[in-house]
Amino acid sequence: MATSSNFANQWFSARGWKPFAFQKQVWAAVKRGESGLLHANTGAGKTYAVWFAALNRFARPAPPPDKPRKRKPVAEPLTVLWITPMRALAADTGKALEAPLAELQIPWSVGLRTGDTSANERARQGRRLPTALITTPESLTLMLARADAQTAASTLRMVVVDEWHELLGNKRGVQLQLALARLRRWHPQLIVWGVSATLGNQSHAEQVLIPQGNGISVQGANGKALRVDTLLPPALERFPWAGHIGLKMLPQVVAEIDASSSCLVFTNTRAQSEIWYQAILQARPDWAGLIALHHSSLSRETRDWVEQALKEGQLKAVVCTSSLDLGVDFLPVERVLQIGSAKGVARLMQRAGRSGHAPGRTSRVTLVPTHSLELIEAAAAQDAVAQRRIEPRESPHKPLDVLVQHLVSMALGGGFLPDELFEEVRGAWAYRDLNEAEWSWALAFVRHGGLSLTAYPDYRRVEPDEHGVWRVPDARLARRHRMSIGTIVSDASLQLKFWSKGGGGKTLGSVEEGFIARLRPGDGFLFAGRLLELVRVEDMTAYVRRSQAKKAAVPRWNGGRMPLSSELAAAVVARLSEAAAGRFDGPEMSAVQPLLSTQQRWSGLPTQETLLAESLKSREGWHLFLYPFAGRQVHLGLASLLAWRVSQQQPVTFSIAVNDYGLELLSATALDWTQHLGPELLSADHLLADVLASLNAGELALRRFREIARIAGLVFAGYPGAPKSTRQVQASSGLFFQVFKQYDADNLLLAQAGEEVLREELDIRRLEQTLERLNTLKLDLHTIKRPTPLGFPLLVERFRESMSSEKLADRIRRMVSELEKTADRGDA
Amino acid sequence: MPAPYPVSLAGEELWLLPEKALYWPAQQTLMVADVHFGKAAAYRSLGQPVPHGTTASNIAVLDGLLASLPCRQLIFLGDFLHGPGSHAPGTLKALFSWRERHQHLAMTLIRGNHDKRAGDPPPALNIRVVPEPLLLGPFAVQHEPDPHPSRHVLAGHVHPVYHLSGKGRQRLRLACFRLASDISLLPAFGAFTGGHRVEQDNDCRIFVIGDNEIWPIS
Repeated sequence: MATSSNFANQWFSARGWKPFAFQKQVWAAVKRGESGLLHANTGAGKTYAVWFAALNRFARPAPPPDKPRKRKPVAEPLTVLWITPMRALAADTGKALEAPLAELQIPWSVGLRTGDTSANERARQGRRLPTALITTPESLTLMLARADAQTAASTLRMVVVDEWHELLGNKRGVQLQLALARLRRWHPQLIVWGVSATLGNQSHAEQVLIPQGNGISVQGANGKALRVDTLLPPALERFPWAGHIGLKMLPQVVAEIDASSSCLVFTNTRAQSEIWYQAILQARPDWAGLIALHHSSLSRETRDWVEQALKEGQLKAVVCTSSLDLGVDFLPVERVLQIGSAKGVARLMQRAGRSGHAPGRTSRVTLVPTHSLELIEAAAAQDAVAQRRIEPRESPHKPLDVLVQHLVSMALGGGFLPDELFEEVRGAWAYRDLNEAEWSWALAFVRHGGLSLTAYPDYRRVEPDEHGVWRVPDARLARRHRMSIGTIVSDASLQLKFWSKGGGGKTLGSVEEGFIARLRPGDGFLFAGRLLELVRVEDMTAYVRRSQAKKAAVPRWNGGRMPLSSELAAAVVARLSEAAAGRFDGPEMSAVQPLLSTQQRWSGLPTQETLLAESLKSREGWHLFLYPFAGRQVHLGLASLLAWRVSQQQPVTFSIAVNDYGLELLSATALDWTQHLGPELLSADHLLADVLASLNAGELALRRFREIARIAGLVFAGYPGAPKSTRQVQASSGLFFQVFKQYDADNLLLAQAGEEVLREELDIRRLEQTLERLNTLKLDLHTIKRPTPLGFPLLVERFRESMSSEKLADRIRRMVSELEKTADRGDA
Repeated sequence: MPAPYPVSLAGEELWLLPEKALYWPAQQTLMVADVHFGKAAAYRSLGQPVPHGTTASNIAVLDGLLASLPCRQLIFLGDFLHGPGSHAPGTLKALFSWRERHQHLAMTLIRGNHDKRAGDPPPALNIRVVPEPLLLGPFAVQHEPDPHPSRHVLAGHVHPVYHLSGKGRQRLRLACFRLASDISLLPAFGAFTGGHRVEQDNDCRIFVIGDNEIWPIS
């Protein structure tokens, strides 16, 4: 036992290093068998803090060999599980964990198991797991869904969750909570450590990971100096609009890249990254081979190559998306550019932290506004970063779709007894208050497809056997469930491969089926930084070849759009208030001054004391613009609420547009907003009832249902090489939604869709707080003659919701008669 | 019953029905396309929980039509059964009892792509099954909308829907009939079926279905 705690000291002193205080704290805590959460940013020695803690406690030096052996001695059995949110991080983590083993003569092995792990490796692990296994939440659940899971995990002692902040707030995190609950039941003494970046609510992060209590919190080394600045556009546009790619800033961005040795250029969407990569390459053809593209739809090979080249300092710039937000330290990176709004303080700081990794260097991020209003956001972001106003993240609350998926997984993982599993599931933070009724419903759902009263004939997924153990009797269903484990929902996607005779060529990545469906063979599009044309589509694969075409489409990936965080929004309003009082501090605010003056002249400026509203009559109809600055999600809820409340007073149909600053309600029929807009419309009374009613009248719940349907196993997304017969059960979730609504309106998944829209999509709590705040503000309603700089981006927003209290026949009649009028004019 | 909408096609008067069916008064013939009976059951047999009620609702609409229109024959323009899993006891039982209520009505199914996979309906249902095209007067009645050298084609398969748009950025997606000079499409009849967007061009007339009415689009 005496030798058990010195691996860390041995390794550190051999290098002349001195451990940080936080590292020693973690080592000591694990030695005492305690669990906890370490708050530390990347590159601060956090991996060694946790890894040496595990080695110190559980590893023994290999005994000196009695006689020379031909074969490597067998490594210790599975002891540590290392959970990482991204597959991309697994390989690097693996190398970091392996580094000290040989020198310290520790007979441990390190292995990876992710969606990228080869079948060979998986089979080998099937026979014997490595001592430390690095895996993702999905792969962990998949392992627990094996019949021999308990035996395989019998020697497990410790679980490490890396980048916990990335999992805490989403359903992947909930999936992990459930897996941990299971491991804890098998091993009550299991040590669990999380590593998380700084969050606005650290105690919650710890509570969710270690719900049984007694976790300890360790604060890592303080973050390094952080600098945020802005590339100012040479000329200011008065009519900015969102969705702008920001290519006007290209010359300046190219100059910045030129001036630094290595640069990361963050964009907010994959499509934007493709366009920027192409544009930079066109501006500087001599950089071919020196700049690269990185986003999550590219093939694993391509991404690996880019990451490797970046680490070796071979690349001048990488245009990337959030795919490079996490983990992996790229020491050579000198500068970080952020194209467009970063939407949140934490995200901005994380991206800034990707530069200046070497000790003593400052991390720096330069904001590149894609439209003029983002100049205000840039100024506000600097304020918020300076004040360290970091967003909190919260665990979802008992999502039933994840629970339903888990029940099937556990039925596969050796089967379950309902009472036992109920206790276990309630041990996960997200389900701590799961009640009997919800539990019975979930059991009935996996057994009959619904409550027994409405039991669906012919349906069976999970059934109790003669001993009362619930299992999946059908091997085909078992296989399909294993294929769809996970909570990240994306549209059906196709593999993209180069066309070659007699078989597929190199794989390029994947695109959404919906995008390819709009293309015809011969049409050009941009992908992986290349101009390609579609050759043919077969077996879930789109074959392409290089194209010479001038015109090319850019794939749209339907990733969620991040809303502006409350923290950043508040900072923006503070800057606007100053502007209204005539104060324009800093280069960004000076640059945007002409635009704000126009806004003030034509209408007004939103401030901390006033709520700006504008009403406009145009050829399109009657518009209301309202600027609560509460982020797009809250605006969506607010817009639905206002639309619904007005529509109760008269039959009307609204088209709704939102952005992070405000919302627009557009009606084709006359509406006098000076009459309608007032405290009653913005009242927080009956909020829940009204929002629920507005949901039923609109389309939001349907969209949310898409994700729920997939996770709960309603919609099967298919997989490459799947037999044709699976296509037969690929109905759209929209169709499911309608059928459920009409024929099984009490289905809890429908209720969940509604609840999730309330909580996550619309964020009902934030909506309530927003309404309370708006009610303290003075309404400042202007009737405007033409759209203002703030209103214009909403006016041209193409992605819209609709809400109607008119009879369908009346709507059709109006549209048909409008068409007739147009046709008559056309004939004349 | 909601009002039918008479149109003239290939010299014959046909009625477009808001129930997503087509009626030929001169021949007392009712035509429906793409019922996809047992689609929900097929899903359930593959482990996907779809509520029941779609079969009953399809049958109720057919019953309503047969009660209000004099009918000598009923023609299914393909995709009568959805898939192999559609031969579920519940679905078949409902179909048998429905068939019994209309013993004397002649029924014909033109085999569609789904029927080929699903297999023909059980003989006891007494539905004549034929390959396409079925020639009737000036019409070639088919499942797939392939051109016919001498007849006007009436077809299903496409599940046509039309996007109606108007002032104030309003939009509606509605099932429709699409009538053209050579090939005309029927909407999908089934309660559990999706749709495929069709456009209007000079050669065709679109009739959308909404709120139990037929609306011609000029």
